[in-house]
Amino acid sequence: MTSMGTTTFEVAVNLIKLVLVFLMMVQLVPILVWLERRGSAFIQNRFGPNRVGPLGLLQLLADAVKFLTKEDFAPEKGNRLLFYAAPVFALVPAAVAYMAIPMSVPLKFNEYTFLIQGYEINVGIVFILGISSLAAYTILMAGWGSGSKFSLMGALRASAQIISYELALGLSIVGIILLYGTFNLSEMIHAQQGIFSFNAFGHNISASWLPNWGIFYQPVGMILFFAATFAESNRLPFDLAEGEAELVAGFHTEYGGFKMLMFFIGEYGHMMIASGLMATFFFGGYSIWNLTPQEVYQWCFNLIGNEFWAGAMNSLLHFLSYLVKFGIFLWIFFHVRWTLPRFRYDQLMDLGWKTMLPWALANTMITALIIFVTSYYVL
Amino acid sequence: MTADVFLFWFLAFMTIVSGLGVVLMANPIYSALSLAMTMISVAAIFVTLQAYFLAGVQIIVYAGAVMVLFVMVLMLFDLKHELQAFTRGRATGAIKIATVGILSGLVVGAVTIGLTIGGKNQAEVASATKAAGIVDTTRGLSEALFLKNVFGFEALGVLLLVIAVGTVALSRSKGGTHARD
Amino acid sequence: MPLGGVIFITIFIATFGVILIYLARWTGGRAKKTSQAKMDIYECGIPAEEKKDTKISVKFYLTAILFILFDIEVIFMYPWAVNFRHFISTGAGPFVFGSMFIFLAVFIFGLWWEIKSKALEWD
Repeated sequence: MTSMGTTTFEVAVNLIKLVLVFLMMVQLVPILVWLERRGSAFIQNRFGPNRVGPLGLLQLLADAVKFLTKEDFAPEKGNRLLFYAAPVFALVPAAVAYMAIPMSVPLKFNEYTFLIQGYEINVGIVFILGISSLAAYTILMAGWGSGSKFSLMGALRASAQIISYELALGLSIVGIILLYGTFNLSEMIHAQQGIFSFNAFGHNISASWLPNWGIFYQPVGMILFFAATFAESNRLPFDLAEGEAELVAGFHTEYGGFKMLMFFIGEYGHMMIASGLMATFFFGGYSIWNLTPQEVYQWCFNLIGNEFWAGAMNSLLHFLSYLVKFGIFLWIFFHVRWTLPRFRYDQLMDLGWKTMLPWALANTMITALIIFVTSYYVL
Repeated sequence: MTADVFLFWFLAFMTIVSGLGVVLMANPIYSALSLAMTMISVAAIFVTLQAYFLAGVQIIVYAGAVMVLFVMVLMLFDLKHELQAFTRGRATGAIKIATVGILSGLVVGAVTIGLTIGGKNQAEVASATKAAGIVDTTRGLSEALFLKNVFGFEALGVLLLVIAVGTVALSRSKGGTHARD
Repeated sequence: MPLGGVIFITIFIATFGVILIYLARWTGGRAKKTSQAKMDIYECGIPAEEKKDTKISVKFYLTAILFILFDIEVIFMYPWAVNFRHFISTGAGPFVFGSMFIFLAVFIFGLWWEIKSKALEWD
């Protein structure tokens, strides 16, 4: 509790910030749904939603009204408690995990320092992995609570898929942990700022035309991590859980209206976590290409001349930088969904266990070997 | 009452209520979900003791893996039948009474031990921790694991391998309710 | 670690979700039972059929238990990875590196055996 702040003002701001980050996530969902529908129409040479409002933007509001007027249905054969609890729990892991991702440089106000994120957790990676692994319960609760065989089979498939890829996910970031020697996401971003430079055999090697991002050290880890997050958030080409050709709609066959929307918020929340973590681990988080926050702050200070407003502008610029990276990864999620076909179940399991897991192991071992050799021996 | 004390009592209350839920719920799925809740509450208590990595591992391994397996396996059975078997009969009644007895014994024991240890205040414990040279719990954990008890660590790897082989062998055996072919 | 914040936002989100469900029930109304078929679970137009003994492949169980075993091994690599540079700087580098290599060799042998014994085949 102490780390939420010492004075009443600080605690109040921190709690309001938590609610704001959550509302930001919820508000982002309709925008992303619109983007996905327009984007898929663009990819498939269609129009997409374009009737309600300019560019179909008011379609989101129309959808919300439609969801509100749907009658509240629960199947008689199912378990009502689990059926209603599942969509509520779908919101929790995604949002609680997303809060731990830093979105900008901390903002200084008088003697206080406010982080532009929900809360800072010093074992951030372990926390996010643990909390997002709880999403399997949501799927199992929905599948069993519906009392339908399509839901149950979809839920079993989905949870088997999620746990299979969690291995590859967990192992693909061991390389990045070895590299930075910390679980803390802010420290990780701090290590990626500025120009490309590292120590090897007692010498410093640097290149001023490259940023010091994780992708240049861990390209294989990046690919494995991104692929595994697709499976974790149940997106195509890994959306076997809702393979509509054989399972109707998977674990949410019986859901409709607002309850369905809450599953959507959960799914998009997992995509947001994946995009945020991709940016944080491999693309320098909120940091701007080749620049450190101190340099950006100095530039802002020279422009404005007021310490607080220069800091605010610094935070805003870095937040925009984060949003650009975040948006690019979310767009890749959409683009892949509308480009690649779905895997068969045995192909999915083969890919997870027989391809990604050995590659992630090899990546870890080679990274460890290189770090050991380059820092143990001095030439 | 400070915020930290309040937090502790809240978490202790959550742990005990969800633990009681595991024993008292008639539906096995509710029991399993309560057990998952207990694991998460215990992880939160680890956090109040500054064992952050342990708390994360508790959530990843117990709540995120072991309990998911439990819930998955429970869903493989015809639960309506299980529910009747679980709530009726003299044997289940005896087991329930015995469980309550063991539980109350454990509570009494915990309170007794707690009263004897509770004499030490937090400052003493903190100074004892500092004297033991533990600064970073994750670092202390990895030093204990990879330097002091490295043989146990390797043996654990072999043990996990044996379990994996055993599971595959068991799933191959003919007969039973879920025979392979 | 801001545990208070985590608990606060968890309770907040759960309350938010419950309010949304009640709001939707209030605006949309509960489903009226106009026919039995409406309240049944989804089935493609034919009467819903309930099998007494739904047999589900033991593969799901096997996958889950193998996941737990490998997950524990992966979790053991985390404290090793995060302190690896520290170990090298204190001179314990070769020892720790070697011990993890033996552990990983066992891991890889386990994985190789699982693949070879076709425990991970889905057909």
